[in-house]
Amino acid sequence: MSFYECVKAYPEGSSSASRLALTAKRLGYEGLIICNVEPSKVFRLKAADRIKGIKVILGAEVTAANSRVLKGSISALRARYPFLMVCGGTEELVRSACEDPNVDMLLCPCYYDARRSMSIATARAAMKNQVAIGFDLSPLVLLRGSSRARWLEAAGRNLQMARKFELSTIITTRARSHLDLKAPRDLLALAEVAGFEPEEAQAALKRPGRLIELNRRKWIGPGVELL
Amino acid sequence: MAFELEAEGEISSGELMKEIRSAQFSLFGDAGASKNRLKLISFNGQCGLLRCSYAHIQDTRAILATIHSINGIRVSLHSKGVSGTIKTATEKYLPQLGKICAESHRRRIELDDVSGCVIRTHGLKVDLCPDNRDKTEGSDTLYLGLTSFDLSGGHEDADGTTDGL
Repeated sequence: MSFYECVKAYPEGSSSASRLALTAKRLGYEGLIICNVEPSKVFRLKAADRIKGIKVILGAEVTAANSRVLKGSISALRARYPFLMVCGGTEELVRSACEDPNVDMLLCPCYYDARRSMSIATARAAMKNQVAIGFDLSPLVLLRGSSRARWLEAAGRNLQMARKFELSTIITTRARSHLDLKAPRDLLALAEVAGFEPEEAQAALKRPGRLIELNRRKWIGPGVELL
Repeated sequence: MAFELEAEGEISSGELMKEIRSAQFSLFGDAGASKNRLKLISFNGQCGLLRCSYAHIQDTRAILATIHSINGIRVSLHSKGVSGTIKTATEKYLPQLGKICAESHRRRIELDDVSGCVIRTHGLKVDLCPDNRDKTEGSDTLYLGLTSFDLSGGHEDADGTTDGL
C-alpha cells in the first residue's frame, strides 16, 4: 500500500513532524507530505528522518493575495520542493493555479464556499496542465447537519466535474495534529461517503506518491528527461 | 470491528457509545441506523470491540472516522480490523496487555521554538502543554504532540540523556 497523506506540522499545526510520522507509520502510510505555508520553519524536520519505515517529504502550500503573486511564489518554490499545493481561496486564484503546470494539487474550492463549485473553464485548464484536484475531507469530520450536507453537495459536483474532464484526484484530511490523521482504510470509507468509487478513492490516495516520484526526476522540457 | 482510541484525556465507554450513536444518526439518519445496529461489546479505555452489520463495514469505518471530539476532549478513532466472531477479533486485534498507562510527569522543556510542561510520555511519544496557547490554535488540541527525537540536544543545560528528557 503506497498511500500518502498531506499534513501541516508544527508551528502551523500542533504536532511535530516526527510525531506525525510516527502515527502515520502505525496507521500504515508509506509516506507523509508536509505542506506548510512556510516550509523552512518546520520544527525539527531532522527528527522525523530518525523514524524508520516512513518517507517524510517536505512540500509547500502556496498562498497568495492575487494571481500575480501566486505565479511568482509558485516559480520560486518549484525548484526547492517536490510537491506544491495551492489553496484556491478565490475564483481568480483557482483559475490561475489551474493554468500553471507547475502546480501539483489544487485544493477543492468547495471548502471555502459551498455554493460555488469548479467551473468548466477551470476544469478544462486543469486537464490541460495536469493539475490534480485535491478533496479536503476534513469538513466531513468537523461539520454536522445542514452545513455538512451542503459541503457534500458541492464536493459531489466537483467530483462530477473531475470525472467528466478525467482530472486526477487526491484525497486528504490536511491533518494539523496526530489526532487528525485517519487510517487509510477509514479515509477510503470517508471518501466513499463523499461519492468516490472504491477504486477511484484508492488511486486518489496513491497519487501524491506518484507525483513526487515524477517531480524528483530531472525534466528539461515537457516529455524530455535528463538521465 | 476492533478499534483503537487515542485521546487527550480519559473517555468512558458510555460517553464513547453516545458519540458513536450521534455520529451515526448525523451521517446516515434513522433509516441508515436501523440497517446497521451498532453495539459496543467491550472497551478498556484504549481498544474496543464494536458490533456492526457485515454489509455495512465501510459505513461503520466512516462513522468512526467522523468522530472528532468527545465532551470537548480531542480524540482519534481508528478501525483496526474486522472479524466474524468476538473470539477471533480479540485474539487477532486486541493487545493482551491490559490497560497501558502512560507515564505522567511534569518536567519543563525549554527550546528555542517551544517551551512548556511535559504532560505524559509513552514510548517515543511526548505530549507537551505549551506555555503559549496560540501554538495549538486551529487544531482544537490541548497539547502539542512531539517525540523524544524532537527534544534531544535542544538545550545546553539539558540533562544529557539521549532522549532529551
